[in-house]
Amino acid sequence: MKILMCTDGSRFAEDAIRFSGRIARAMGWDISILYVRPRASSEHRIHLTTARKKLNEWNLDIPGVSYLKRAKEILIEIDVAKTLPAGEAESKYTFREGVYGATEIHLVGIHGENVRLRLREGETIDEILEEVRVGDYGLIVTGSRGHKGLARYFTGSTAMSIAKHAPCSVLIAKNIKGHEGFLITTDGSDMSERAAIFIAPIARALDARVTIFSVAEEGTTEDKAMERARRAEMIISQMGLTCDIKVGIGRPAEEIIEEARNHDLVVLSASGSSGVKKFFMGSVPLKVIEYGETPVLIVR
Amino acid sequence: MHYIFQIIKRNRWIFIGLMVGGLLLYMPTPEGLSIMGMRAIVIMVVSIIFFIAEPLPLPGVALLIAVSEVISGIAGPTETARSFMSDSVFFIMGSLMIAAAIVKQKMDKRIALYLLRLTGSGVGRITFGLVAVSALVSSFIGQHTVAAMMLPVGMTLINMISEDTSKKRNLSALILLSIAYGALIGSNGTPSSGASNAIMLNFWKEMFDVRIGYLKWMAYSFPLILFQVPIFAWILLRTFRPEVSEIPRSVEKLKERIRKEGDMTPNEYWVIGILLFTVFLWVALGDRIGLGITSFIGVSLYLMTGLVRWEDLNNGINWGIILIYASTISLGLNIKDTGAGEWMAKSFLELISPLGIDSGIPLLAAISILTIILASVISSGAVVGLLGPIVLNMAQITDKSILAAGFVTAISSSFAYMAVAASPACNIVYSSGYLKTSDFLRGGWKMIIVSILLLLLIASTYWRIIGI
Repeated sequence: MKILMCTDGSRFAEDAIRFSGRIARAMGWDISILYVRPRASSEHRIHLTTARKKLNEWNLDIPGVSYLKRAKEILIEIDVAKTLPAGEAESKYTFREGVYGATEIHLVGIHGENVRLRLREGETIDEILEEVRVGDYGLIVTGSRGHKGLARYFTGSTAMSIAKHAPCSVLIAKNIKGHEGFLITTDGSDMSERAAIFIAPIARALDARVTIFSVAEEGTTEDKAMERARRAEMIISQMGLTCDIKVGIGRPAEEIIEEARNHDLVVLSASGSSGVKKFFMGSVPLKVIEYGETPVLIVR
Repeated sequence: MHYIFQIIKRNRWIFIGLMVGGLLLYMPTPEGLSIMGMRAIVIMVVSIIFFIAEPLPLPGVALLIAVSEVISGIAGPTETARSFMSDSVFFIMGSLMIAAAIVKQKMDKRIALYLLRLTGSGVGRITFGLVAVSALVSSFIGQHTVAAMMLPVGMTLINMISEDTSKKRNLSALILLSIAYGALIGSNGTPSSGASNAIMLNFWKEMFDVRIGYLKWMAYSFPLILFQVPIFAWILLRTFRPEVSEIPRSVEKLKERIRKEGDMTPNEYWVIGILLFTVFLWVALGDRIGLGITSFIGVSLYLMTGLVRWEDLNNGINWGIILIYASTISLGLNIKDTGAGEWMAKSFLELISPLGIDSGIPLLAAISILTIILASVISSGAVVGLLGPIVLNMAQITDKSILAAGFVTAISSSFAYMAVAASPACNIVYSSGYLKTSDFLRGGWKMIIVSILLLLLIASTYWRIIGI
């Protein structure tokens, strides 16, 4: 599988790369790291190209490349990229332009997997989605600055938009903690089963503790919630893992956020509820991303 | 349905622009304005909306201006084509080509070396040096070239200061903004330093048959630069207090790196030689054969000597922006020909007369502020192209010197110190990733106020003495 990590050079993105890099290493996935540089107005593009040529003459990195280089250092730090004796990452190519719409450096991973540093230009969200389209990725990783409510309304959240529009699974890595295990939520839909199947090998590879969590909206439906959790447990145990089961009573999003506090990662499936309900009630995964304090994996 | 909504959303500014235009056309033509004049104003309003919101590439807006001029019946196809091209547009083209020839050489390394030899390693002196050199060089070859040439110098200095970015935030902003603001200061130094100057020369010639030579322009504009350089350096040092006051290690490393490249090559001497020769021709022949034609002599010399290949010019020049300037010149002239310029000038004066600023120095201040506001959202050349005829008409009505009003407009158009996106220089240093947009706000407003005051001071004293 291929995993796409997005960076904007902030420490939030670096944390996300470190967190997901470990998963990718354990799973032997191909990694791409993407930085999207804002597109200049047509009026200034040629001037900026001239400036970049000059920077090149002086052996300075073109803007944006320093973020990718930093990401590369992180990958070396957590032993993802194969290193040469000098401690530098072993690279197949130096910067090549126009590789599926991006400028890229191609490195070799520790098990021979591909590690690509890619630079695109344009609107952040559009370019990330375009990258996913041409690159056939199974998982997008992004950090989050953690703006909530009003602040998010004004600044907009890249993580949120990607979670909404991405065609594949999305991992929003924020407030990364130690080793406290994964929380897998289930609403009984086929999608939740797929989420369990998706996360089980990762949990096994990372040796993470797994807790299954199901929410009953009222006390009377607690049995049903338990039943749903048992079904998920069966899937997990079929893949050779043991897990705990928990059932919460209340509003799903609030219960999940509360329970997730003690976990490294909360796994949700892309909402099974209908469009109309989603419109009025808001989608549970998006609420958990916005108001939760834990990294969120949305499986599609 | 969803699809249609997406199309509308993506092109909303095109729809808004066209709707505003349509509404204005439906409104009754105000008294004193001809129908053609009204149409010219409508084209101007819609183009300004498009220039700001950029719903299509800006050169595309230029094409639309040509199309609408002909369709609205303001001018015929041949006239429109003719109004797009003039000696001033040749001059803009020629200046850009000369700049592209210079940028190809490694002049930036020479300049950096000489600069650092003079300034030593004190941050204060380096700041002053960067502002002064950027201003001086951009006076001749334009702000975009200078910013592109000096950015690596600034970034090399910054990179070598410290690994830790938090320890050099202010210093980075200081160095990069010195380059950008220096380049902006210089962009009115000579007629060849920026398109807005060439466009203003064009309006003086076409509207009033007033010709200003290369040297005469410098006599009017250079005193402001001499004041701006030290004051800007001082304000920058006060605003972005550097973390360290000496950076000897960075300076030494930079010098060492440049020294490795060896002495100046014969090619570099030739490039400078041809530039100086062209400047000499601009001074000596510019009045007689036109600045544009003169600049072509220089460009031909560069091409004949093989110092620059046509491909370099083809790739290194923003041909689209020349089209933009040409379109604003054409529109500006049509605004004047249809009487719309005079009408707008009168209306503007009526509007501001209750404030008591409709004549003399206060009027120049109003013109300056109006120009700065527009220049912060669209490129300076386009601002002068659009405002030029209106401002010159205002000067004529109020018996103010058209030269003073014209100079104030052209010079104020480069006072876009607060906006990242408006000027090439700010855009280039911003692209380094070391600056935040707020850095431009922090320093920019002070620069704007100081520049307006200096400009008005010079207009009311020095320009009077030398006789405008």
